Amino acid sequence: MSILANKDTNVVIIGGVAGVNAAKRMAQFDFLVNRSLSVQAFVYPPESGQQKEIYRGGELNNISVYASLKEALQENPQINTALIYLGASRAAQSAVECLESENIKLVSMITEGVPEKDAKKLRAMAIKKGKMFNGPSSIGIMSAGECRLGVIGGEFKNLKLCNLYRAGSFGVLTKSGGLSNETMWLCAQNGNGVTSAVAIGGDSYPGTDFVTYLEMFEKDPETKAVVLVGEVGGTLEEEAAEWLGAEKRRIRLIAAIGGTCQEVLPQGMKFGHAGAKEGKKGLGSARSKINALREAGALVPDTFGGLSKAIKQVYDELLAEGSIKPEPMVDEAILPELPPKVQEIMKQGDVIVEPLIRTTISDDRGEEPRYVGYAASELCEKGYGIEDVLALLWNKKLPSREESEIIKRIVMISADHGPAVSGAFGAILGACAGIDMPQAVSAGMTMIGPRFGGAVTNAGKYFAHGVKEFPNDIPGFLTWMKQNVGPVPGIGHRVKSLKNPDKRVKYLVDYVQNQTTLHMPCLEYALEVEKVTTAKKDNLILNVDGTIGCILVDLDFPEQSLNGFFVLARTIGMIGHWIDQTSQQSRLIRLYDYLINYAVKDEREVPEKK
Amino acid sequence: MAKILEGPAMKLFNKWGIPVPNYVVIMDPERLLQLGEANKWLRDSKLVVKAHEAIGGRFKLGLVKIDLNLEEAYEAAKEMLGRQIGTAEIRQVIVAEMLEHDAEYYVSIAGNRDGAELLVSNKGGIDIEDNWDTVKRLQIPLDVTPTIEDLTKIASSAGFEGEVAERVAKIASRLILCFDNEDAQSIEINPLVIRNSDMRFAALDAVMNVDWDARFRHADWDFKPVSEIGRPFTEAEQQIMEIDARIKGSVKFVEVPGGEIALLTAGGGASVFYSDAVVARGGTIANYAEYSGDPSDWAVEALTETICQLPNIKHIIVGGAIANFTDVKATFSGIINGFRASKASGYLEGVKIWVRRGGPNENQGLAAIKKLADEGFDIHVYDRTMPMTDIVDLALKA
Repeated sequence: MSILANKDTNVVIIGGVAGVNAAKRMAQFDFLVNRSLSVQAFVYPPESGQQKEIYRGGELNNISVYASLKEALQENPQINTALIYLGASRAAQSAVECLESENIKLVSMITEGVPEKDAKKLRAMAIKKGKMFNGPSSIGIMSAGECRLGVIGGEFKNLKLCNLYRAGSFGVLTKSGGLSNETMWLCAQNGNGVTSAVAIGGDSYPGTDFVTYLEMFEKDPETKAVVLVGEVGGTLEEEAAEWLGAEKRRIRLIAAIGGTCQEVLPQGMKFGHAGAKEGKKGLGSARSKINALREAGALVPDTFGGLSKAIKQVYDELLAEGSIKPEPMVDEAILPELPPKVQEIMKQGDVIVEPLIRTTISDDRGEEPRYVGYAASELCEKGYGIEDVLALLWNKKLPSREESEIIKRIVMISADHGPAVSGAFGAILGACAGIDMPQAVSAGMTMIGPRFGGAVTNAGKYFAHGVKEFPNDIPGFLTWMKQNVGPVPGIGHRVKSLKNPDKRVKYLVDYVQNQTTLHMPCLEYALEVEKVTTAKKDNLILNVDGTIGCILVDLDFPEQSLNGFFVLARTIGMIGHWIDQTSQQSRLIRLYDYLINYAVKDEREVPEKK
Repeated sequence: MAKILEGPAMKLFNKWGIPVPNYVVIMDPERLLQLGEANKWLRDSKLVVKAHEAIGGRFKLGLVKIDLNLEEAYEAAKEMLGRQIGTAEIRQVIVAEMLEHDAEYYVSIAGNRDGAELLVSNKGGIDIEDNWDTVKRLQIPLDVTPTIEDLTKIASSAGFEGEVAERVAKIASRLILCFDNEDAQSIEINPLVIRNSDMRFAALDAVMNVDWDARFRHADWDFKPVSEIGRPFTEAEQQIMEIDARIKGSVKFVEVPGGEIALLTAGGGASVFYSDAVVARGGTIANYAEYSGDPSDWAVEALTETICQLPNIKHIIVGGAIANFTDVKATFSGIINGFRASKASGYLEGVKIWVRRGGPNENQGLAAIKKLADEGFDIHVYDRTMPMTDIVDLALKA
């Protein structure tokens, strides 16, 4: 048995992320006691229409978020309880709506810092309507084995430690949220656990009072004793004492009252709770409360630490007089365990999950990205450049200084080739059509293929083949190419020739051969091939794609990476073209009629559809 | 609860039509002379000069000077401004018209659970304490506005007669309006004075508390609440208050000079029980502190460092109940960092640390703080099986 909340309690949570977190905790309890999900709806206008994923054990529930309480109740008429997790400026209005609704009988508010005037009005309204308004500043309500409202009780492990999966014989009433949990633990450790625990909140004017709940506990046959944790301020504890002393009560009362230290502290000193302040002439002081409770017959230890003994004493007495039976030992092993997350089981080595992908180049799970193991910032610190990062990510090794100088030059001379070529023109068309940079650049990028920029890979590939298979036999290589491939990729230029050489090729070859000490077998082989082909035809020279391909093969870059140099370099250019066109606010490009040969049929009638 | 100074209270009185004397608040005595040139009342009236600070017993400290002309008021202001009272410095004075009057009355209003209570007496001023039995009370239920007849009746029952009773009722009705609309928690006017010759009334002194939680709906609250502990806040207290205003959850700190036991306790409820336990066992507390609502680790770290710097402490009590949702591991990592930094700066020499805590990730949190023993801290760590405040008993027996 219990008070306030039980297995029939169905909840709407009003509020955003804090409310969702509470719902998750509540679902853990639902799982522990094997009840249906207690949270049935959320109300939070900014996220209305969404669904929140709430796990009850391993079972995934999607709980709807509504724009208004009215909608939530229309679709979920079983809801009878509201928990308010809104900020202080909106919480009171929401509580008014809840109290006005037909279905909701209990409203509990966790919000702190609610204006006193609002809290007082909510209390009055609840009394008038015969409903319960618990809070503000309440951590929640717990009925062991039946229902958890809010995060009261803390983490899953603690729910078990406090025996909250089944009812005991102690009721708990506190102002403080932390102490409600502490007191439930004390009842489990020194007694047989709790029936219900209610945190009423530490504000000056709580919506409910201790007497109301003591009356409820008195009527709950399972509850044999109540542990009340109060503090300086207000008169709720004095009223509880008066209630206890007024007539013979069935339940025993154990109490702890905080704030006796105020007797020796500066007057007016503020404590953690808004309500913890002393009134004039000792009224509401901790001492007055302790005296009143003791006189009325409550057991009041002189420190909170003394509560353990007091609870044990009452428990032993209840056992001795036979009003409760000794608790059969519960084997904790039969209690359910929260299903662990995959990561947790993997950590323990109990399950194997086949990875979806595998990477060998980078890892950013630490404080910063690491490229093939090297921290990015350390590379910067030690004077490495973008060309070294490129080599690491594409080829998994750090190039030498000479090698990275070559890589840098290849990217530099390939970065752009004017607006007329397919890639740049594609990007410009896109920019002029008003599309964003990534899309416009990809438009240019799609042009890269067999006729535009795509020859680097094949050039490298076949010259490498020649070096390997026809080392001293250029005519043999050319014959093999003719039979198996066709024209040699990397050889030939539309306008350049022996007499009118490509300056970029000349520069690169000169740099590699004269400014570095590197051995370049593939490049040398290609130059030998060029000697043979140009003898046949003047323009069959080693072009820039061929040159770059060979150099990269000589630098030991994998074959499939070679085109990447063109892609990377031209991306720089295409981004430039996009920025250029956009900042000029260029107009949309449309081809003039005179640039098109309309080789279409003359105008004619559409035949009837057959 | 937020006490506000006389100046802002007078401003709110003015807003709601409660008669107040002319007054100015100044920070520079020269400004008073300038104001004297602009305002006739400053030249013609007798003046009172009071320190405009949250300092108790101002009269005894010579921080209230009465019956002055402008020149004398200037001298009094000059003497008060910049004076050091304990840890506080006088930064503002209020200069008000000293209304010559024939009688002093008492009117106050204070909130309670069911609404508010109005108190009226015709024996105001310093006599009120001795004449508390003459005070007549009227309980005003929530959402009820007493009629002027009700108020005249209570005024008459308090011994006011004829037109005076009507005028007192009128002032009371405005006081109720002010109380209700300004989210006040209490307002005390003592004395409310009357000059018979022209039936002029004025609230000569005001003590007002407003509900600081309601500030979101008061655009014209341009004041800050003042300390209610009879002294202005210290720099350390203000720093923690500033952090508190910025974070989720809360951190709180009040110094109690001379104490030997420092408190680094969690939870609004539990922290009070720890203070009680220290006092009950004959110890002296060096501070009150509290963190709750799962605050960020850096906020707890700042609170820890502040507490470590308290002079002459012998023990630090890192206590708390079994938390519902404050992460013990995360908050303890703030505490651990705070302890380390403090030790590195030369604090914590000979200080014993006592820990008891439970809650989310309690095992990891407790294990981490226990390791401080390896770094030379004198630290004693207990888990949830130790009764909450019993670490205080252990500390005081050590």
